Amino acid sequence: MANLETVAPSAGTIDAWKKSAAFSTLRSRIVRFIRQRKLGAFGVGLVLLIVCIALASPLIQRYDDNRAFAQPNPQFNPNANPIQVAQNPSLSSPTIVSRYQSPSAAHWFGTDGYGRDIYARVIAGARAAIFIGIGASIFAVALGTAIGIISGYFSGITDLVVQRFVDAMRAFPGLVLLLLIVQVKKDAPLWLTVLALGILGWATAVRIVRSVVLTTARLPYVEAARAYGASDLRIMRSHILPNVMAPVIVIFSIGIGGYILAEAGLSFLGLGPQGTTTWGKMVSAGRQALDLHPWEALFSGGAITLTVLGFNLAGDAIRDELDPRLRQR
Amino acid sequence: MSHYIARRLILNAVVIWLVATLVFIAVRALPGDYAQQQAGARMELTDQRQAVNQLRKDLGLDKPLWRQYITFMASLSHASLGRSYETHRTTWRELGDRLPYTLELGTSILIVAFAISMPVGIISAVRQDSWADYILRTFSILAVATPVFFSAVILLFIVLRLHLWTIDLISHPHLWTQPAAALKLYAIPAFAGGIAGGAGIMRLLRSQLLEVLRQDYVRTAFAKGLQERTVILRHALKNAMIPIVTILGLAIADIISGQIILENMFNIHGVGQYLLSRLLVRDFPPFEGTVILTASVVVMMNLIVDIVYAWMDPRIRLA
Repeated sequence: MANLETVAPSAGTIDAWKKSAAFSTLRSRIVRFIRQRKLGAFGVGLVLLIVCIALASPLIQRYDDNRAFAQPNPQFNPNANPIQVAQNPSLSSPTIVSRYQSPSAAHWFGTDGYGRDIYARVIAGARAAIFIGIGASIFAVALGTAIGIISGYFSGITDLVVQRFVDAMRAFPGLVLLLLIVQVKKDAPLWLTVLALGILGWATAVRIVRSVVLTTARLPYVEAARAYGASDLRIMRSHILPNVMAPVIVIFSIGIGGYILAEAGLSFLGLGPQGTTTWGKMVSAGRQALDLHPWEALFSGGAITLTVLGFNLAGDAIRDELDPRLRQR
Repeated sequence: MSHYIARRLILNAVVIWLVATLVFIAVRALPGDYAQQQAGARMELTDQRQAVNQLRKDLGLDKPLWRQYITFMASLSHASLGRSYETHRTTWRELGDRLPYTLELGTSILIVAFAISMPVGIISAVRQDSWADYILRTFSILAVATPVFFSAVILLFIVLRLHLWTIDLISHPHLWTQPAAALKLYAIPAFAGGIAGGAGIMRLLRSQLLEVLRQDYVRTAFAKGLQERTVILRHALKNAMIPIVTILGLAIADIISGQIILENMFNIHGVGQYLLSRLLVRDFPPFEGTVILTASVVVMMNLIVDIVYAWMDPRIRLA
């Protein structure tokens, strides 16, 4: 009797899952993914690394990202009279802000113009970038899928009107739409940026979802469902939605890199989320001291590039895996 | 074909009207307006509210929203893009001043993009899976992931550190009046934008060329004994370029919109910078006018591109 237990583990446990057929096919799929699409696997690894950094950021930041470091001032003279201070201003303050320090043991990436640790700010920026990128993509995909399904399923006037809106939003020049939405509040909070990026992106999702829905809605089994009395909502949810999930996942993963780039551009112009450390802001600030102190600009810009690279590679591989037709967009 | 064009033109008109309405609403939904920013800042506290209200009345901003909308639509219908609250010049005039700079920057970016992407794409496709191909593809993947302003910063860093030339952001030279000075200014943004755009073109060209090179007529050409260079340049490239022509059309539309970020970085008085500055000071008419004009160009270029595509590739049938 004891032997039976080792051969057939009780259902519902981790051991049961590990021996099940679903697990082995999933594992073989993952292994095949890593072997065949090495670039994509590298991208996924990069993404996981950066997400872990973002999640663990309070632990690995070393310092607070807004803390200004200062060193004791050797020239400090508390007994200096005003005339001496006027001649040599550095006599009056007990500390000197550690501005524009080069990378050292205390400050791995150096300090910026306000004396803040660049490494801490880069890690804090990872938090913001991941939140914005993934949040905006979720919002854009959710909104775009809902509208795409409705537009494609009902066709007719609904479709015509919705498509004109989509065309109108795509006709807006570049960042303009983003700038308009982001300025609705005086100092843009983080969620407003995510919202603005999502509104920018839903148009792409709508187009792709709609084209899939247009073919799916004409299939015989959908007509059969309608014939036996299924409501439109039920059809959309049970029959159309599952067919749309593959391209939706692809749109979601490919879009993240674009949203991170767009937000970085916005922050670079100074119109990004206030009160949060973002990489775009750091590149803009670092540009001022570029010739003597390139560290701030280079490390933050490099962080943006690496993150977007990871998401792009991962997204491309997922697209190749799930739906190669989307290659030509 | 003419049926298709007529239908598209009507749809385009609807889309442009939608854009105009959307920008009208969006811009008035923003906090603050021009009167508040200007008059309020210059007067003493007691006169402030009076000055702001007076300015609002002068500019017509105190009228109810639907009234403003009707005025807006009326002026739009006779091709007027409004008059700036700040300079009182018409938007057409202001854009006329700024378009040359945007065109300079835009065409420079386009030239750099094609100059880089064409040879790179061809080499990468013809020597598929060689070391050259892998290295070039890596560079193009990196180029797509790098934000435009960061490439500009890197190039700026190289120029500054190696003391290659000094960058003058104050005088605004044109390429046709002071070519040397203008080149020093436009070189970095042109390359920054060109690298980003060129990467996309390179990948498309490579995939298209790979497809074309597998075709039978290419094998026949090789079998006839033609040199590789002749086959590629005379036969394969023409067919591979078709989707790239569509990109060219969209790129032209992009040029007109102006590169907001690059123009801002290098203090180039182009259309993009104009859009940004008008938005920030809430100068509605030029902002609305420029957005509508840009959107119209984009929408028209899309139509032209579709027609050219159908003309170039007889296999395509217009919907």
